[in-house]
Amino acid sequence: MIVKKPWFTVVYMFVLTAFFSSAVIALSRATRERVETNRRIALERAVLEALAVALPADASALELHALFTQQVRPPAAESHGAFRRVADGRTLAYALPVEGRGFWAPVRAVVGLDADRQTLTGLAVYEQNETPGLGAEIAKPGFTGQFRGRRLGAHAPRLRFKRPGLPRAENEVHAVTGATQTSVRLERIINAAVDRWLQRMNERHAPGSAQTR
Amino acid sequence: MKKRSPADVAIQALWRDNPVFRQILGICSALAVTNLVLNTLVMCAALTLTTAASCLTVSLLRKYTPDRIRMMVQTLIIAFYVILIDIWLKAFWPEMGRALGPYVGLIITNCIIMGRCEAFARFNPPGLACLDGLASGLGYAFVLLAISVVRELLGMGSILGLPVPWFATHWDKWIIMVMPPGAFFTLACLVWLFRSLAPNAEGTAK
Repeated sequence: MIVKKPWFTVVYMFVLTAFFSSAVIALSRATRERVETNRRIALERAVLEALAVALPADASALELHALFTQQVRPPAAESHGAFRRVADGRTLAYALPVEGRGFWAPVRAVVGLDADRQTLTGLAVYEQNETPGLGAEIAKPGFTGQFRGRRLGAHAPRLRFKRPGLPRAENEVHAVTGATQTSVRLERIINAAVDRWLQRMNERHAPGSAQTR
Repeated sequence: MKKRSPADVAIQALWRDNPVFRQILGICSALAVTNLVLNTLVMCAALTLTTAASCLTVSLLRKYTPDRIRMMVQTLIIAFYVILIDIWLKAFWPEMGRALGPYVGLIITNCIIMGRCEAFARFNPPGLACLDGLASGLGYAFVLLAISVVRELLGMGSILGLPVPWFATHWDKWIIMVMPPGAFFTLACLVWLFRSLAPNAEGTAK
C-alpha cells in the first residue's frame, strides 16, 4: 500500500503544506488592498479629528476620504512630517502623527496644532491596546476633548498631565484616573514628538533666517 | 473504542468534559480576553470555528496521515484556519482585529484544539469529529462568556458596552475586575461553582 512507503511521509507533508500555504497566500493577496485601506482610513479619520474638522456623525469611509483629500495636504519636507490643513493656499493647522510604547502595546495618535504652532486643535488616538475601562479611555472623547484650545508652554515639557480634579493651567490636561502608566507614557510620547517637531520647524521658519541666507 | 452517539459526544464536550472547568485547558486566553463581553464573543466564535474546522480536516485526513508526523499535520491545519480568521478580521473588522491583538494568532497554541484533534478527531468519522470540535468550542465559549459578564458588570457596570441600570449608577466599580487579577478570581470561583454543580469523581469514568 502506498501509505506504507517510506517516501510517502515526506511527499504527504510537502503536498499538504503547499496546499495550505497557497490558500493562505491567495487570501492574503486578495485582501491586502482592503487591509491597507482600513489602515489609511483610520489615520485619515484621526488627522481630521485632531484638526477639529467637523465630521458627519456617521460619515462613511468614502466621505471621510473625500473630506480628507479636500482639506488636508500630506506631510511634505517643509512641514517636517506633519499633515497640513489648508484653505486658499494658507496653512490653517498642522496634524503631527506621534507614536510610542503604551503600557501594553504601541500607541499611535495625531496631535493637531494651530498655524501659530502653540495652540492645540485636538488629539486623536487611533491605535492603542490599553486596559479597557482604564488606559483605553485615552482614545475616548472624555479625555481627548480636553486638548482642544490648550496652549503649549515655551519650554519642554510643553504639555503636562495633571492629577484629575486639580486646577489646570493653559498647558495642562487631566490624566486618566487609575491609568497612571498609560498617562505617563502618553505624556512622554506627545511631548517628545511635539518638541522635536517644533525645534525643526522653528529652525527652518525662524523669523529672518530664511531671508538672510 | 466503542461507538458513541452524537448527543453523547456533544454533552460530553459541552458539560461533563468541559474543556475549561473540567480539563482546565485554554486558560491563557480565558484570562486574557474576558474583560469585555464583545471581545470574548468574537474570540469564542473564532475558536469554535477553528476547532470545528480543524477537527473536520484532521478526521478527513485520518486514514492517510502517517502516525509519526500527525502532530505536524495537526499544527499545520490549525494554523491554516487561524490565519484565515486573522486575515478576515484585519480586512473586514479592523477595530476588533486590533482589540484582540495577538490573541487571535495565539489560538494556534490553544490546547483545546490540539487536544480534540489528538484525542478524538483522528479516530472518528468527519461528522462526529466536527460535532465534537463544535461542542468543545461552545463549551469553552460559555465558560468564557460567564467570566466576561461577571468581569464587565462588576468592573465597568456595563454589558456589551451598554450600561446596566443599577450597576452603572450605584455600584462602586471594582477596577480590579477589568485588570488581569480579576480574571484569576473570577475563573477560580466559576471552576469551583461548576465543579460543585457537576460532581465527577475522577476515576469512575474508566
